[in-house]
Amino acid sequence: MGEPDMKLDKERRAFIKKVLNGAIAGSLLLVIPMPAGGGDPGVPEQIPGIRGKKWDMFHQRFAFIVDITRCIGCGSCCVADRREFNVPDGYYRTWVERYLKDFDDQVYVDSPNGGFDGYQAPRTDINVEVRDTFFVPKLCNMCKEPPCVQVCPVGATFKTPDGFVLVDRKRCVGCAYCIQACPYSARFLDPVTRTAEKCTWCYHRVRKGLLPVCVNVCPTGARKFGDLNDKNSEVYKLLHEHEVLTVLKKDMGTYPALYYKGLRREVV
Amino acid sequence: MPSRYNSHIKRIILGLVVFAALGFAAKLVLTPKSFGKYGPYRGDAIDEEAALEIRHKTNASCLSCHPYEAKIHLAGLHKTISCEFCHGPYADHVKDGKVYGKLPVKKKEEIKVLCLRCHNKAIQARPGEVIKTVVMPEHLETQKVKVSHTCDQCHHVHAPLKYINRAKQIVGIKEKN
Repeated sequence: MGEPDMKLDKERRAFIKKVLNGAIAGSLLLVIPMPAGGGDPGVPEQIPGIRGKKWDMFHQRFAFIVDITRCIGCGSCCVADRREFNVPDGYYRTWVERYLKDFDDQVYVDSPNGGFDGYQAPRTDINVEVRDTFFVPKLCNMCKEPPCVQVCPVGATFKTPDGFVLVDRKRCVGCAYCIQACPYSARFLDPVTRTAEKCTWCYHRVRKGLLPVCVNVCPTGARKFGDLNDKNSEVYKLLHEHEVLTVLKKDMGTYPALYYKGLRREVV
Repeated sequence: MPSRYNSHIKRIILGLVVFAALGFAAKLVLTPKSFGKYGPYRGDAIDEEAALEIRHKTNASCLSCHPYEAKIHLAGLHKTISCEFCHGPYADHVKDGKVYGKLPVKKKEEIKVLCLRCHNKAIQARPGEVIKTVVMPEHLETQKVKVSHTCDQCHHVHAPLKYINRAKQIVGIKEKN
């Protein structure tokens, strides 16, 4: 007589389990966002040929070109960069420097708040006849031979096969060797997480076919980013034309993937 | 000649084996799973970096919901300016396809500061072929308006010459070259 009751009991238990599992799975579906493999369809692709296919980790070539002759020092890039990554005040993934030359070949460089507030007034602290002034945006050079990677004792910073120098926030112990090693001062120690932080050329955006945020907001097109495998991209054309493109601190042997157009020799 | 006293050798060998086994086990446990996938680092860190939240979208994504602003913005000289630079990032406004927060609209003096980030002639570093620059308040005086005027009283912020060209059309002023 007891048997049918037990069976019913088991069935009920199984039923309740199924319902509960269903409820949990359903709520998880709501919480976990859809994987953005193909990117957001509402946002047009800015770097052609990335969406809709698997990321080829080993055959990517990207380059960044900063056109000094077009930079107006508005600081849009700095503002966008800070907002994209919630960078704490006083730390800069990218910044804009103002160079000033006088007729004695003296060079004066300033960068109040990294150019974040823009340049609202000329320099008043120096009283010289100005021969030339210009802005130089700075960011990670994505060296082909990165000194920061070489010195990391725990393998927390590395160069990916697709050419980006990134930081593994879970492995980084915050020893700051890489910050000393970087010849371009592109790195800093995040005061909140106590790990090394740096410009990533917006790796998360590039992987989804979007331009780095500083390139996206630049009103004059002074910052250019593109795929060197794509022969129609602006950077490919610039690198294959008779343009004078230079890199920073060439003699360090770091082989940067960041090029400057119209750079003066005074810039380091 | 085999020694009668070889237990010490056995102990050393056993000790080495135990040490090697412990070391190997510790390496297995402590090395992250994807370490060495591409090189001497954690391969999954690349995917983690790629999965960061995109906070800024593009002008097209903003203007797809704001057709009125799109019409003005895309017709004017300011079409290369990012919406998100003045108004704030997309992620603070839209979440999962729904409006989530209100983005600020700059007013009066804030607008003037914003305009002069780019258009201030006093900063001599701005090349003339790239951007039109003015000296304040000289510009207001030569245009014969009050010095207290803010930029947006004559210039539409999205299309700076919109009102000016319209006014010229109405009055019939020809551009002097």
